Amino acid sequence: MSRACLATAMVGLLPGCFSLDYNRMNVGEPVADATLQALRPGRDSLADCLRALGAPEFVYEHRTSGIALLWFWKETAGWGFELSSPSDDVPASLSLELEGAELPGCMLWFGPDLLLERWRLGTIGDLLRDRVRPTLVDG
Amino acid sequence: MPRFALLLLCCLLTACVFGRQDTNDPLDAVTIRGFVPGTTTAREVVERLGAPSDVVQLARRTAYRYDAASTKSTFLALIVVNFGNQDTRSDRLWLFFDEKDVLTHYGASFGTHRTQYALPWEDVHETADNEVRDAARAGVQQR
Repeated sequence: MSRACLATAMVGLLPGCFSLDYNRMNVGEPVADATLQALRPGRDSLADCLRALGAPEFVYEHRTSGIALLWFWKETAGWGFELSSPSDDVPASLSLELEGAELPGCMLWFGPDLLLERWRLGTIGDLLRDRVRPTLVDG
Repeated sequence: MPRFALLLLCCLLTACVFGRQDTNDPLDAVTIRGFVPGTTTAREVVERLGAPSDVVQLARRTAYRYDAASTKSTFLALIVVNFGNQDTRSDRLWLFFDEKDVLTHYGASFGTHRTQYALPWEDVHETADNEVRDAARAGVQQR
């Protein structure tokens, strides 16, 4: 009995220095590829695109009088582990997350007439790379 | 041996954790469906929905953002191996106004009612499941 209790106690204390985790995180709903493929640049209006894709996450100004809309979502799942030591002589802690790094998303650009110019699927970092601060010159 | 089993059971009893976090009240889909592009003004929108969470200037146009989010977390701690799941869904509304503050376009997405508690290996957000939840929330299925 005492051995069983000792073994249970040791197992109970183990998470204090080592744990293995499997985590899944879902944020928002991905825009279906078929929905994007059905968009018609030069023909679809802002109203058409909002009807098809719903509300974006963010809205930006595009080339002074146009609009850019950004959707993004997160679907990650993966294992991670954490190792820690109470001793100063041993490296204190180590953790590793085996999860996706960059969020996927899509962006739609509209011209001054609010007709769809183009769309693109990619990571947020890529999609926002070309964005510059707008400057409006009122003449 | 029965004592050992009891001890193990007591350890497992503390293994399940549920959490919920809501940001803002869910958007009123019925009210939003009542907005008419070309007629509804920014003043009327604010009177019905309150202050927006964000306003973006788009040259001579403006866009108002309203949002709400719901997160449900489930965590199963099995002493050394742990399983966690976090599900976040949001309601979003973007309204676009012209220079006279008249509504020209709007886009709405409703998702807070779809958030679910689940373990990471469970399938959630299946189409049929979403449809049932959409049907139970007034104004959502008319999109």
